[in-house]
Amino acid sequence: MSERPLHEGKLDRAQALSNARQEASYETISVTPVTPVIGVAVEGVDLSEDVPEAQIADLTQALANHNVLFFRDQPELTPEQQIAFARRFGDLHIHPAAPSDAEHPELFVIHTHGESFVNNGADWHTDVSCDEEPPLGTMLQIHRTPGSGGDTLFANMYAAYDALSDKMKGFLDGKIAVHDSERAFRGRYADKGVDDKDAVFPTNEHPVVRTHPVSGRQALYVNETFTSRIRGMTEEESDALLEFLFRHMARPEFQVRFHWEPNSIAFWDNRSTQHLAMWDYWPNERYGHRVTVKGDRPFYRAN
Amino acid sequence: MTEKPKQKVYKGRAGRARNLSNSRAQGVYETIEVKPATAVIGGIVSGVDITQPVSDAQIDDLSHALADHNVLFFRDQPKLTPDQQIDFANKFGELHVHPAAPHAEGHPELFVIHTHKESQVNNGGGWHTDVSCDETPPLGTMLQLHIVPEVGGDTLFANMYAAFDALSDSMKDFLRTCTAMHESEHIYRGRYSDRGVDDADKVYPSAEHPVVRTHPVSGREALYVNRAFTTKIVDLENAESDALLKFLFTHLEQAQFQVRFQWEENSIAFWDNRCTQHLALWDYWPEERKGHRVTIKGERPFHRMN
Repeated sequence: MSERPLHEGKLDRAQALSNARQEASYETISVTPVTPVIGVAVEGVDLSEDVPEAQIADLTQALANHNVLFFRDQPELTPEQQIAFARRFGDLHIHPAAPSDAEHPELFVIHTHGESFVNNGADWHTDVSCDEEPPLGTMLQIHRTPGSGGDTLFANMYAAYDALSDKMKGFLDGKIAVHDSERAFRGRYADKGVDDKDAVFPTNEHPVVRTHPVSGRQALYVNETFTSRIRGMTEEESDALLEFLFRHMARPEFQVRFHWEPNSIAFWDNRSTQHLAMWDYWPNERYGHRVTVKGDRPFYRAN
Repeated sequence: MTEKPKQKVYKGRAGRARNLSNSRAQGVYETIEVKPATAVIGGIVSGVDITQPVSDAQIDDLSHALADHNVLFFRDQPKLTPDQQIDFANKFGELHVHPAAPHAEGHPELFVIHTHKESQVNNGGGWHTDVSCDETPPLGTMLQLHIVPEVGGDTLFANMYAAFDALSDSMKDFLRTCTAMHESEHIYRGRYSDRGVDDADKVYPSAEHPVVRTHPVSGREALYVNRAFTTKIVDLENAESDALLKFLFTHLEQAQFQVRFQWEENSIAFWDNRCTQHLALWDYWPEERKGHRVTIKGERPFHRMN
């Protein structure tokens, strides 16, 4: 292949990214964009109280528009408070592999410290896309932060899809991929005392391009953690295409990098984002509670 | 990809083997004998004397054998004079003059292949089809080597029907909609300076061709991108095109699509440029390898849905 000018096509990219910008305004909450492409800081809500229906409606719309909502000014939520708030967006999901709190099976404890062997979600992924009905969204509050480090990166999969050529979009639209969790989860929680020898980890097929049920927009829906294969292609073809897509979706212009403070909350839309949690703070500790809202079966609908 | 489970090494081999059998040549000829060199590509021709005027019936059989076997090898010919080689090649079409290479005195159609101790590069050291950068790339090329090294200097040929057949239906359908840029500036600029060619004022050709080419004689579809000349799939982003071309180049260079021809003195290879790629090894330095190549003009590549 010939040498290419280093900065070729940057204006096209910049113009395409502007499609991802959502200039919505809301009556009952205030939102400030963290980047032009993904993520807003939300103010004007108290999550420890019963949140009014109008605010839930605005938050639902804001989530679809901005892909991930950040809350900086909340107190540490009790498990009951966090579960009650998350339930307003749908039924809650129980993780197929992770250890859960005996009293609150919906609560997934995120805890990484000096003796941990792995952290959660260190590679780009959407949560449990191996499920038949992967979660709509996930709400994480970090109670104890490592001081510096432990950021989470979120990426906008609408923008990743928009940045593809029309020809590539046409090729991917309607294709089906396998999302396989055996390789992600087998032995994954052994250090937390989980014996999984009788567990069967889910595998499901989903569209490569997913139509968001609220926004109606198309999002790229393959991730390097769970997606093992594109159907209807040879293994070599599928590997080559996935390798490209994984590299493509990980470009910095689709991302926001969120720096956690104690009790920060992130609420991300799993249908249109991927995320990655950095483990750059060993041997320090990072602790929090995650609650996951059930979602629908991914589908593709042509525009 | 992270922590991908190990694939079974031999998975899918029977499927591949069945696919390859589609490429097996089935032709029967009245006036020549053709023995397959591999099950997938290459026929060794006997029963023709190229130094004498070759009959139309034999030319007809050779044309079919070329379409059937993709490359024909002749082992039992004497050293041809430039006129003999040019006359024989002319039976298959008009001859092509190479846009960059030096030619033999008085015979602009004759491309001298010569590699020796002082050479800086050899010809065609990477996988390619001849001058696919032209609007109308050659139909085929006929090379006779007069001086061969004691050992080494083999040429590998690959069957691009077989390479296309081995793709999934989904990939085939996509590629049928694609065209690609074939450029030569990056290949030819300064390429023959060691042989005294000054190309300062030269403009090297580039052309857009279908990624899947329908062979005008056989009607079959062949993969038509090559690592030497193909720079970009049109209408894809650079990163998309690079990823797809990288896959296709790796795919088409697999051993099961190939024949490896070992030259003897005065061996001739006549390859169909429309459905093959080839590569010349330079594993014989400091020895010498010399011969004459003539190239037959072709038509503009096209794709027609089956």
